[in-house]
Amino acid sequence: MKKRVVAMVLVGGRGTRLGDITKHTAKPAVSFGGKYKLIDFVLSNLTHASIDTVGIVTQYEPHALMQYIQRGSSWDLDLSDGGVHFLTPYTSHEGEKWQSGTAHAIQQHIHFVKSYRPEHVLILSGDHVYKMDYTKLIAHHEKNGADITVAVFKPTDDLSRYGVMSVNQEGAIIDFEEKPTQPKSNLASMGIYVFKTEILERILGDDCFEENDFGRDIIPKALRENYRVFSYFFEGYFRDVGTVESLFEANMDLIDHPEYLDIHNYDDLPIFTKTEDLPPHHNIASNAVKKSLISDGSLIMGKVERSIISSGVLIKSDAFIHNSIIYSNVKIGEHSELKNCIVLEGTVILPRTKLVFEQPTIIDNAFLWKMGDAK
Amino acid sequence: MNRLFAVIDATSKAQLGILSIHRMPGALPFGGKYRLIDFTLSNMKHAGVKNVAIFPYGNYRSLQDHVGSGKRWDLDRRQDGLFILPPKNIQSATQDMITFQRMHEHKEHFHRSKQPYVVITQANIVWNIDFNEALDHHIESQADITEIVTERARIKTYILSKEKLLEYIINYDTIPYKTIQEVFISAPSISTNTYYHKGYSRYIFDTYNYMKANLDMLRFDRGRQVFLEARPVLSKEKTAPPVRYEASADVHNSLIASGSIINGRVINSVIGRDVLIKKGAIVENSVLMNNAVVEEDAHITYAILDKSTVIRKHTVLEGTLQDPYVTQKYQLVTEQTHIHVLQVASEMTPFIKTGGLADVLGGLTEHLVKLGIKVSVILPLYKQVRKNFEESLKKVFTQEVVYDQETYQITVHSLEYKGATIYFVEHFKYFSRDEIYGYKDDCDRFAFFNKCVVEMLEHLDNFNLMHLHDWHTGLIPLILNEKNIDLKTLLTLHNIDYQGVCNKETLTRLGLTHTIVQDKELNFLKTGILNATKLSTVSETYRDELRYDYYGKNLTESLLRRERDFFGVLNGISNKQSPAQDKVIVSQYSTKHPEGKLENKRYLQQEMGLEKDDNAFLIGSVTRITEQKGFEIIIPALERLFEQHQDVQYILLGQGDANFVNGLRSLESKYPNRIKLNIGYDSANPNHIYAGCDVFLMPSRVEPCGLGQMIAMRYGTVPVVRQTGGLADTVRGYDPVTNRGTGFSFFNYDIDSLEHTLKEAYHVYKTNPTIWKKLIRRDMESDFSLLRQANKMFELYRLTIGN
Repeated sequence: MKKRVVAMVLVGGRGTRLGDITKHTAKPAVSFGGKYKLIDFVLSNLTHASIDTVGIVTQYEPHALMQYIQRGSSWDLDLSDGGVHFLTPYTSHEGEKWQSGTAHAIQQHIHFVKSYRPEHVLILSGDHVYKMDYTKLIAHHEKNGADITVAVFKPTDDLSRYGVMSVNQEGAIIDFEEKPTQPKSNLASMGIYVFKTEILERILGDDCFEENDFGRDIIPKALRENYRVFSYFFEGYFRDVGTVESLFEANMDLIDHPEYLDIHNYDDLPIFTKTEDLPPHHNIASNAVKKSLISDGSLIMGKVERSIISSGVLIKSDAFIHNSIIYSNVKIGEHSELKNCIVLEGTVILPRTKLVFEQPTIIDNAFLWKMGDAK
Repeated sequence: MNRLFAVIDATSKAQLGILSIHRMPGALPFGGKYRLIDFTLSNMKHAGVKNVAIFPYGNYRSLQDHVGSGKRWDLDRRQDGLFILPPKNIQSATQDMITFQRMHEHKEHFHRSKQPYVVITQANIVWNIDFNEALDHHIESQADITEIVTERARIKTYILSKEKLLEYIINYDTIPYKTIQEVFISAPSISTNTYYHKGYSRYIFDTYNYMKANLDMLRFDRGRQVFLEARPVLSKEKTAPPVRYEASADVHNSLIASGSIINGRVINSVIGRDVLIKKGAIVENSVLMNNAVVEEDAHITYAILDKSTVIRKHTVLEGTLQDPYVTQKYQLVTEQTHIHVLQVASEMTPFIKTGGLADVLGGLTEHLVKLGIKVSVILPLYKQVRKNFEESLKKVFTQEVVYDQETYQITVHSLEYKGATIYFVEHFKYFSRDEIYGYKDDCDRFAFFNKCVVEMLEHLDNFNLMHLHDWHTGLIPLILNEKNIDLKTLLTLHNIDYQGVCNKETLTRLGLTHTIVQDKELNFLKTGILNATKLSTVSETYRDELRYDYYGKNLTESLLRRERDFFGVLNGISNKQSPAQDKVIVSQYSTKHPEGKLENKRYLQQEMGLEKDDNAFLIGSVTRITEQKGFEIIIPALERLFEQHQDVQYILLGQGDANFVNGLRSLESKYPNRIKLNIGYDSANPNHIYAGCDVFLMPSRVEPCGLGQMIAMRYGTVPVVRQTGGLADTVRGYDPVTNRGTGFSFFNYDIDSLEHTLKEAYHVYKTNPTIWKKLIRRDMESDFSLLRQANKMFELYRLTIGN
């Protein structure tokens, strides 16, 4: 079955900077905005672009993610030709294939790509928060007759976290620096690439090393070898939520700047997610919820301000939750107070617990036990 | 565990009014994110039922959309699965419950089903039941049929063996029972068993129950009996973001589904997906479906907003729990405090009256004015009106109107009546005659009248809406269209027996080409039906019945075409008509002091020469004695009843067909002390009958609205009616299992059913005085006021304007 574009979504990394949030889940399976998981953004963008053949390249704790995505029906990606495929490390006659670099991970599954004989391969990360119309990216790539197109954006934070691109007037990339201390440009790579299939195959070749990475190794190599490498400038909201702080901030952006992701607007690339069979949330409190997002199945008896409440959460009366993110199935007892908390799934907070912090802090049962021991 | 297959009965249209115009009851959104059928389908899934057949009536697209392949309930299977089995005869009248005949149309399905037991249940019950437990109960009982009931009501749910059901299906045309319910209640040779479902349940057949069940979900004890963690209610998957509370949100005990944005105040309400409540808006005790919008400073109370309704700024909507304000899909509801409506009709009380229309229009006008609506009325100036109202009439203007190539001059007079302005069109040739109807040129007269009305508009204020009545105004929407005048019209059908049919020459006389009407003849009423913005008739059930040839006659097709714009609004009766204020009856009474009713019964028995007996079961009728009113079945059914019971009495006031009168007379001569007939309308005051009888008999074959039953109920006289038209909308049949109801009713138009129902009433009257008193109290408390009618009509006006 021939496909014009095949997407490869890299979900391998553990995301160690997210600490205990990723103790048992890969980063793309991390909850976001009360109802979503990070992977929803990529899968929704793909389905809107009618890119229906998707390889999900996994490695770290893939089960939660596999269970979540299943056959992709929540994103209309459950097709008989194409659809969602989980690509896990495997053993072959060449020995064990455990990937560590992004490019190496793709090279390992190049047979999967080739089986669809696509013209282009779209390489994505499963842990970014953004709404993007990939059809524009691909059209841009084709219009330029590019071998490789790299999506770029202007970060609002420290450029030295990113791969920084210098481009000429036509948008061709002329220089690339990985995590520069003195960046020459303000355009950073989003980690989103379009390759002509034959170019991808050629560049990855046979000598792709385990630690080979698209940003650090492949793009500089392509520039050296004079391939046509173009940039595609993305104006929309984009966050790589690699740290607890950035994850917290991106969540709070939903409350403070609803226009950024505009999740309540379905005309513009709605974000699909797997829904649970839960009734609407029941707010029993009186005039106690302000500036917050509340998900299905929750029961709210206490006070909630500038917070995100996921599904199936119980907040007892006289509890006060502010500036916090509560993951699903959390129970919060009476007279508790939470500030700047990220409370992980299933945590039980006993009555009269005070969890008031100045910095975003991850709370789970283990944390609470420790806290109890300390007392 | 594959012991059971299921028949989901979605054949009943229920009494959900506007809510079921676009969908069947099973597809009705509920509880913020569900559809009613989700509850029953989820119950099936959790019981491991893999073979489910849904029997829908007519338009089942919305249901089909929702259930899809049944995947959500694990019903997309290679073997068995989900079947939607539509009626083979679309025109067959809707029934109370699925009939064996209806199942016979798909008898192969029953043969093919391998499971030994079958559950027959409804698509519109809110509940969470374990069918396996019910099935075990059935098997242990060794009964033929088990009925599943709840504390609250009978929910038309039965379990029996496939074998037994097949017997009934195959023999549907030879057995005397049409439904499994009839078998359960009446069949002598079967053994029955009852299974009580303890959890919450409500059968949603009208807007009250719909509203109540939604609000019940806000009560912790009730909601949690339906949304069980172990048996979740499954619905079609849809994604929406979490609910967004803004800083100005002020929410009190509400269920709010995903995607909604709350800026305003929400109290005790159920909010569906993607609803927007703007700043300063107040939503109280209401049910909002998906995508509804309530704009700034609007205030809604006890309202049901259908999908995508928009309530504009500052709009106030107020319903009650019993009678919620209901909007239609995509309706735009604007403030409209200064709405101005123009009524056009051929007659109106107190100016001129030949039939019920005049009273309805008089009462409606008076009460619309009370609601703050500006009302004007246009009537022809008949000779009688001129004679009786000469002094009050004020000449307003004259105008030239061309008809049949001649230019006529009309003079328009007006007078003020109870806050409304009444305009009279004076034209010597056409209107100044001794009678109002019955002339050869009636069609010309009213075609001319219709043209006058349109031509007059430029002299009058601007109207938001024109409300037209019956065939006499039927050409107005067409004339407006042809003249490109953008004025919304609502045409009410009071009586479809008169349609105004004439030669198409009339169109030419109006200055129109006769090709704009396709038929061979010009039919005023049909033309009105096809061209008015919205249509209404005098009850919701009658509205539904008109879809069938049996009721709708030659208009069925055009009415079906306008089905989405056709509504039912029940007529009302004056509050002055009440046993507490009635000076005619011998003893006044009320719900607080009901004792006076017995005095009236004694007086009636004495005056009419019936045996004096406080305990006699006294049946009364005030009616025209015609076939339509049910006399074909009344006479033989009464005869049987009199043969069997000595203490039954009957008194009738009315006039009509000689055949039936003779039949009644011979019955009277057979039981002279127990039956008294008053033939001729002026022989006695009907109020004595309304007040003095125990039961009011009105088993009409056709009854668009009916007022007698409403008056009787207000006087605490329990109605015995056939479930048709307005009778079905006003009388709720008594159910001995739950003790609910306001009267006694039956569906099938035959002698057996009437006899059976009369005996049922007799039985309750004789054996259960506590219940009988309750029935009387419920009847007297029923609200059939003109104000209620005016409120509902106002809802419809807003709907017509907002379209």
